[in-house]
Order: sequence, then C-alpha cells, then structure tokens
Amino acid sequence: MKMKKTDIGVVVFMYAVCAFFYAYSSTLSDTSKTYPLFTITLLFGLTTLYLIQMILAARKFGVESGVDKVFAGFKALQFILSLVLTIAYFFMVKYLGFFTATTIFMIASFIYLKVPVLHSIIALVVMDLLIYLAFVQFLGVRLPTGLLF
Amino acid sequence: MLETLQLMGQGFISALTWMNLLAMAGGVALGIIIGCLPGLSAAMGVALMLPLTFSMPADTGLIVLGAIYCGAIFGGSISAILIHTPGTPASAATAIEGYQMTLQGKAGKALATACWSSFWGGLLSCISLYFFAPLLAQLALKFMSAEKFWLGIFGLTIIAGVSSKSIVKGLMSGALGLIISTIGLDPIDGTKRFMFGQAFLAEGINTTCALIGLFSMSQVFILAEKEIKARAKAAKFTDKITLTRAERKKIRPTIVRSWIMGNIIGILPGAGASIACFLGYNSAKQFSKTKEEFGHGAIEGVAGSEAANNAVTGGSLIPMLTLGIPGESVTAVLMGGLIIQGLTPGPELFTKHAAMTYTFFAGFVLVQFFMLAIGTLGCRGFAQISRLSDAILIPCVTVLCVIGSYAIHRNMSDVVVMIIFGVLGYLMRKFDLNTAAVVLALILGPISEKGLRGALRVSDGDIGCLFQSPVSWVLIILSIVGIFSPFIMDKFERKVAGDESVDQAVQDETLS
Repeated sequence: MKMKKTDIGVVVFMYAVCAFFYAYSSTLSDTSKTYPLFTITLLFGLTTLYLIQMILAARKFGVESGVDKVFAGFKALQFILSLVLTIAYFFMVKYLGFFTATTIFMIASFIYLKVPVLHSIIALVVMDLLIYLAFVQFLGVRLPTGLLF
Repeated sequence: MLETLQLMGQGFISALTWMNLLAMAGGVALGIIIGCLPGLSAAMGVALMLPLTFSMPADTGLIVLGAIYCGAIFGGSISAILIHTPGTPASAATAIEGYQMTLQGKAGKALATACWSSFWGGLLSCISLYFFAPLLAQLALKFMSAEKFWLGIFGLTIIAGVSSKSIVKGLMSGALGLIISTIGLDPIDGTKRFMFGQAFLAEGINTTCALIGLFSMSQVFILAEKEIKARAKAAKFTDKITLTRAERKKIRPTIVRSWIMGNIIGILPGAGASIACFLGYNSAKQFSKTKEEFGHGAIEGVAGSEAANNAVTGGSLIPMLTLGIPGESVTAVLMGGLIIQGLTPGPELFTKHAAMTYTFFAGFVLVQFFMLAIGTLGCRGFAQISRLSDAILIPCVTVLCVIGSYAIHRNMSDVVVMIIFGVLGYLMRKFDLNTAAVVLALILGPISEKGLRGALRVSDGDIGCLFQSPVSWVLIILSIVGIFSPFIMDKFERKVAGDESVDQAVQDETLS
C-alpha cells in the first residue's frame, strides 16, 4: 500500500500532542507524572513506528496524495457553514436562552439546507416539544434562559 | 446454583414493573427509528440517549440503553429491505436478499423474516449472557493491582487492533485516549494535572460528553460534508408481515447456526455485528438446500444475516460486564452508561449489585419480545421514517448533542468539551483513526493508572511486580495476541465468508 501524504499530518499531530503534554508534565511532581509519562512514551513510540511504516511504504510502493480519498465528495461551503452555525448556536444558547437559540438555529439550518417549509415546521415543533417533555419535565433540567425566556 | 436461579427469577419480577416495561417499549421504538435511518448508528443513538438515563434507577437506565441497542441493530434491516440502504452496517448483508424480495413484491415477507430471526438471534444470545457472564466474573475476582493494569492494556490492544484499517493507527488512537484520560486531578494524591486552569476539568474529561462528541457530533459533521440527496422512496407493500409455518421451519436451522456464530463473535472483543451478518449470510448460503435462490430473494439469506447480527448483542455484553472490556463501540458506550450510574464493571456486578444486574438481564430478554411486537406492527411506519432527509437530521442531532451534554452537569463547559471531541472525532474518522479506542482509553485509563501505581507502591517502585503472577502473564500473552488478532481474524473470516464480503464488512465497521 502506498504512503499517503495526508498521514504526515496525523504523525505531526501526534508528535505535537506528545510534545505539549511532555512540556506540561514538567510542572508535575515525580509521582504524579509517572503514568502520564508512560502514556506519552507509548504514543511517541507508536507514532514513530507508524512513521517508519510510512517511510518503508513510500520506498516500496511510492507516495500518493490521499487528499482525494479523504475529501471525496466534500462540500466545503456546506460543511463550514454547518460548523459555524453549530458554534453560533452554542453562543446563542448562552445569551438568548435555549429555546430561542434552538428555534433560530434550526430555522437557519433548514433554510440553508433547503428543507421544505412544512417539514421544517413539523421538525421544529417536534424537537422543541421532545426536549421540553424529556429534559425539562422528565429530567427536571433547568435550561439556560437568556434575554427573552 | 440455587442462588443464581433465585436471582434470575427475582430479576424477571423486578423487570416486569410498569416503568421498566415502558422503558423497554420506548427504547426499542427509539432504537428502531435510529437504526432505520441511514447515517445514524447504534453507538451514536445510545450515546445520544445516555443523558436521559441519568435520573432513572440503574436497572431501568441500562434496560433503556440495551433496548436502543437491540432495536437499532434490527432497525437497520427495514431500510436495507425497503430502500436498499442498510440503516446500520450490521444490516449490509440483509440488503442483498431483502431488497430482491421487495422487488418481487415480498417486502412484508422479508420484514417478517427479519423480525422473526432478529427476535430468535437476540433471545438465544441471552442464554450465553446468563451462563458465561457469572463464570467470567468469578475469574475477575482474582485480579489485583498489576492484573488490573494488564487488563486495561489488553482491552485497549484488542479494540484498537481489530477495528481499524491499520493496527498501529488503532493503537495510536488508544494511546491518545490514555493521555487525554490523565487530564484532571491525580487519582492517588490529588495533584492538578493538565487542567489548563479550568476547574471543571478537576474530575477529568467527562466520558459522556466525549462519547456524544466522538460518536454523535462527529456524525453530524460527516453528514454535513456530503451532498444532501433525496432518499429513494420506500417501496409500498401490500403483502402481510407474517411467515407461514413451513417458512419458519425452513429458516430454523439457519437461525440456530447464525445464533452460534453471532454469539461467539459477540463474545470475542473487537469483532462486531457487521462482520457477523456477513458470516451468517454466507453460512446460510453454504448450508442451503436451495442455493440457486440466493441473489434472487432467498428468505434464508435474510434470516442468516439478521439472526447473526442480533445474536452479537447478548454476547458482546459479556466481556464488558465481567471484565470491563467493551468489544465494540456500542458496548463501550453502554459501559459509559454503567459508569454514569456509579457502577464498575466486574465481579461486583454479580455480588453487590447482583439484583440490578439480573434485572437488566431479564430486561434484555423481554426487550426481544418487544422488538418482535413493535417491529412487526410498526414496520410500515418505520419505513416512512427511514426516508427522513439528512437535511433534517443534521440540525436535529446537533440540538440533541448540545442538550444531552448540557444536561449532565447543567454546565455549558460540557458542551464545549462535546464540540471539541466532535471535531476530534470527525478528523479521526477522516484519517482512519479509531474513535472507539479513544473512548475505551478514557474509560480504562484511570483503571490502568490505579492498577499500575497501586502495584508500584506496594512493591516500592519495583517494576518486576507487574510480571509476577500467572494471571498477569496470561493477560500479557492475550495482549500480544490482541495486537496480532486482526491477522488471525482476517484469515478466519476470509476462509468462512469469502474475500469480498469481509472487505465490505471491515469497511463498514471502520466507517461505523
């Protein structure tokens, strides 16, 4: 199997995690850092092993991009917008209250994802009702309230 | 023996309360809905519903999760049969014969076969649950600190090794999870570790938030990156959802074979329902007297696949409940549910909490009856739900992820953790890393740490103490076997099932 260039990112990420936690562990006492150091060494060792595997695969079979497979059919705009809407939803819950934020988030998502109006209304009502009954009534969760309610 | 029988009886009495019966019916219905929606998996459904079980008694909470698990595995067959799109990877083999039957106007018959076989597969799998679980729990009583450390390592090697395309990548995922599990207060001396000045991290990363993020939120991102297409219309069917006596007799041997196979696969950590369904399907084909019907709507094909994937459910609970080793992602999530209820998997479940455990077992048996009834009666309705567009699912699941993680401590910080793990899970799935291994490491990490440091403290830091007992050596050998198990399993599966179907199953398992 060819080496994938995308796996370089995986290796870099894992080494970065090791470096970060290793640096942070220097602030810990000796007994407290025994186990974290064991796990960091484990990840470092396995990542190095994977790197060696990658180099061997590159020498034997060559290198391929891998991007086309990882991002096959990737709809960048749709994905980014969904991510942005999710983050915006988080902040809206904090400041506008849960039900207001949920209603705005769902309507915005349905409009962007082109869901028919009737389906949108049904989904919105069902979700709000479900959350109210399951979480507020059944579990007794006090949901965040914001500017409105 | 008598005591066990008494506990079994008591379990059924406790399981037959209105609350538990309602939990079974609701859980099964919800599970079927999740299962029949292509794009949503059983693990995701169970993770999403975990917060709802917080305020329930432990046995009821576990029954709900068990019911969702069984319902979701069966539910996948509805869309597999009616729209040729398996709701979960566990029903991939069902689509082969099931959809052919639909094209011939026998959709009702195919659905009835799926219901009937799922029921028997699930019900028979409970036998091994009752028989093997207490035995294995007795063995776990002998585990001391060093053995607990090796048990954690064994659990990680087996799941990391088997459910990934690359063994090293699977193990890397597990190691990453172990590092994340060290965040929070030191379990021995209470020192702050990797808390980044955030007080809410004192108890470590909340497993439920991580579960919801890794399995459910990441799935939202996966759905959001793809083009949203309208699903095929579910075939309308007019034939009755029943089987004749002759048909039931015909599929009986297939069900028994698939049950044995599915159950063994369930008990083996690492192999899941998606592999079992292909093995069940292929064995049905191998032993069939009417082999020529296969590929053209063979009833035995549907029965083989569905009995096998449901037989996995009971078997897969055994290593999780007794040793704390979840064999696959759904049981890893279920283990999270157990821990949330303040219970630790292991011998205590069969001694101190025996009443609760046997109530859960009895509930698991009764869930199969609910699955048969709700599945048979509600097939037509579920068929319509299976067509629900991803455009509706994306915002709905996002909202459930947010409310689910918020409800745990009524804290927005948990929502942040969930979103971070959602992004991490998405990236991990894109780059063929293993999210189930991270979850398992988060659960097993603290157990391993306590084991390692406990053993070192007793032996004054002598690392040799980890290699002294025979049980430790057995676990070390099992861990090594665990690392190489993908090669062994791959050879075994290819021999039994044939290359093509195994490739498909492994691919499905990785995607799930």
